[in-house]
Amino acid sequence: MTPDTDPLLEVANLRTTFDTDGGELVAVDGIDFSIDAGETVCIVGESGSGKTVATESITRLVKSPPATVTGSVRFDGEDLLEASEERLREIRGYNIAHIFQNPQEAMNHCYSVGWQITEALTIHTDASQEEARAKAIDLLDRVGIANASSRFDDYPHEFSGGQKQRVMIAMALVGDPDLLIADEPTTALDVTVQGQILKLLDDLQEEFDMGILFVTHDLGVVAQIADRIVVMYAGKVMERGDVYDVFDRPAHPYTQQLLECLPGTSDSIGGIPGSLPSPTDPPDGCRFAPRCEHAVADCEAGGQPREVEVRPGQAVSCVYYQSGYDASVVEADTGDAETSRGVGDD
Amino acid sequence: MTEPLLSVRDLKKHYPIKKGLLNRQVGAARAVDGVSFDIAPGETLGLVGESGCGKSTVATSAIRLEEPTAGEVLFNGGDRRGATRNDDGTHPNDVTRFDKGELKAFRRDAQMIFQDPSSSFDPRMTVGATIAELLSIHGMTDRGRRRRIVEDLIERVDLSASDYDRYPHEFSGGQKQRLALARALVLDPDLIIADEPVSALDVSVKAEVLSLIDDLQAEFGLSLLFISHDMSVIREICDRVAVMYLGEIVELGPTEEVFHGPEHPYTEALLSSIPTPDPRATLDEIELTGTVPSPTDPPSGCRFHTRCHRVIQPEDMEMDQAEWRRLLTLRKRIESREVDVEQATENLALDDEPDDLSDEAIKSQLRSEFELEAPLDSATAEATLETALDRLVSGDADGAEEVLSSSFTTPCETTHPEFVDHDADHKSACLLHVDDRPDSRIGVENVPQ
Ligand code: SF4
Ligand code: SF4
Repeated sequence: MTPDTDPLLEVANLRTTFDTDGGELVAVDGIDFSIDAGETVCIVGESGSGKTVATESITRLVKSPPATVTGSVRFDGEDLLEASEERLREIRGYNIAHIFQNPQEAMNHCYSVGWQITEALTIHTDASQEEARAKAIDLLDRVGIANASSRFDDYPHEFSGGQKQRVMIAMALVGDPDLLIADEPTTALDVTVQGQILKLLDDLQEEFDMGILFVTHDLGVVAQIADRIVVMYAGKVMERGDVYDVFDRPAHPYTQQLLECLPGTSDSIGGIPGSLPSPTDPPDGCRFAPRCEHAVADCEAGGQPREVEVRPGQAVSCVYYQSGYDASVVEADTGDAETSRGVGDD
Repeated sequence: MTEPLLSVRDLKKHYPIKKGLLNRQVGAARAVDGVSFDIAPGETLGLVGESGCGKSTVATSAIRLEEPTAGEVLFNGGDRRGATRNDDGTHPNDVTRFDKGELKAFRRDAQMIFQDPSSSFDPRMTVGATIAELLSIHGMTDRGRRRRIVEDLIERVDLSASDYDRYPHEFSGGQKQRLALARALVLDPDLIIADEPVSALDVSVKAEVLSLIDDLQAEFGLSLLFISHDMSVIREICDRVAVMYLGEIVELGPTEEVFHGPEHPYTEALLSSIPTPDPRATLDEIELTGTVPSPTDPPSGCRFHTRCHRVIQPEDMEMDQAEWRRLLTLRKRIESREVDVEQATENLALDDEPDDLSDEAIKSQLRSEFELEAPLDSATAEATLETALDRLVSGDADGAEEVLSSSFTTPCETTHPEFVDHDADHKSACLLHVDDRPDSRIGVENVPQ
């Protein structure tokens, strides 16, 4: 790996809005994050957090119009938001690959799986038909499709859900990408299959030295694969940090409550009362204020609180961490959460 | 023992598979294949398993949204308590024999909620009107009274009475699921069957709806059949849990017992694959080989034997359990002609030894693909494997199959395991429990909690 410290991908002030009949819908509202080569960053959020739109804005998979994407997305020194559609297609083919929750939507039902991979290979590399076929079989084999050469001519419907996701991963690897964006890739799968796919991604990450941007709502999955976490809520980043720090000492009230919502945690709180704010008319202050038990007057105005670093690499957007406030009010919960979730819990 | 509210006996649902011009039946998908369980009044029974295991079909055929193929479903709710069998052995409370009128009454006493609550609401009607409609269908003529009852229920599910006049699209997913609960409760049922009711909800909302279900169940004294693929949700809400695999229940017991000391290898594997929200948890997940077989042609003996990590070894061999699993998998693949010598050769050529494509090299390539390092622990097994591989690379797949099928055998593929009782109320169907095998304590040591 090169010794330079520039991240592989650096997203700054990313804002994605949609023109709707009900007015401007702000799906992603000025977020920053970065991914280093070979690293796994998880964007965690519930529906309406903007996590999917954020990742689809990176290579502009979001359709524009109606979407407008602003800010900057620097990949290997190049600003993707400035790139032409042609250049983006190239990037999506070689450098940044996507996999999704529903592999069948990304596949063509009318062609065999082998044909689809071979096609991608001949477009993205200068392989001959024959080489492409051999390479496609090799890729299928590597993602764990048993008996790859005889499955080559099978159609997507002949594969199980887990196998389809494996095939999608094989397709994503065609251009030997530097970054894989995986949007809830295991959410639709059975839990025993989910484990296999997560393990596969882990192995491939090492083999291909890929950065992975993994989008999920599932904190169990996050704990298993993330190096770093970005917690999103209603289009904003609430908290970010190293996976151990965020799980051990979640600093933001939203992160804390999300962790306590998990079934099986000893003092599970029975949910977070209230619902997501309207994306066309978000609150003026902290997006979480309408549901936050700690909210004070300052939370309701002046935009999302500026991020404060609470320890190296862990930053939180909550007024209690700003000067003049007593952070221990919200941190107090953290202590509880930590002891209640310790190893060997029950 | 008190009379169960619901008693399902040997329930089967087979879907015919038809082919050809004459549409002749050539087989059947055995979605539910002999399932029995009881639910006591006020009890929650969880039904858990992976997709395709038949858990939803149990629900739909038990309440006859689909006609079951065989079995009895005794429902002792409503005014049906304390009935005894008829002289001909049938039971007056058998839902599968209900006529139209009885079915209508039963549908009042047993309600169902689904993963997608929208399916219970008409988008053009206010939610209150949709719920109140059930009351008028079942004979309540007083409009004002209907409205009062429904408003009261809407409040009981933590929404406000004024929501009566709003339309489904005005509610979030979690709110709609609350309304579906209100709808299910309006006829004051004895039993609710909930099929993945919180699976589509966000984490923060899921927890809320679960605790609401829990509260309402206690308040209304309901029995609940709770179907989910999510073990952690089951653990939160169920008194007892039944684990299904390929149309059968393989383990049934009190929830905490099953989670702490699973007795069936499948339950054990399922529990070990739940990701724990702890970044330090080491992943010593049990890896299940292969995928769930098709219910049209379920494996012989124990249906789990094609994937089971504890599948029993032949008596004359002794080896590492993981190695035995891989040997058996190799045998199965060769039997189905899924081992591809050509592919192995090609892989060999692609890798680093393009010059050595000798039979020996191909054999060792195959061995490495199946992770069967030479030599195996057991000399007998090693000799058998070598003979089979020799035959395979020389093009004699039949011969290879013959050698493997006669030596690498397991009782798990010939004997269908019956239930064995463990502690009170806890049973499982696995041969490891049958002859007092020394290694029969499953799971206790390696299930993450
Ligand atoms: S800024 Fe205020 S509302 Fe937002 S999380 Fe902090 S305390 Fe809660
Ligand atoms: S009977 Fe055999 S294959 Fe079935 S679960 Fe028990 S050990 Fe595994």
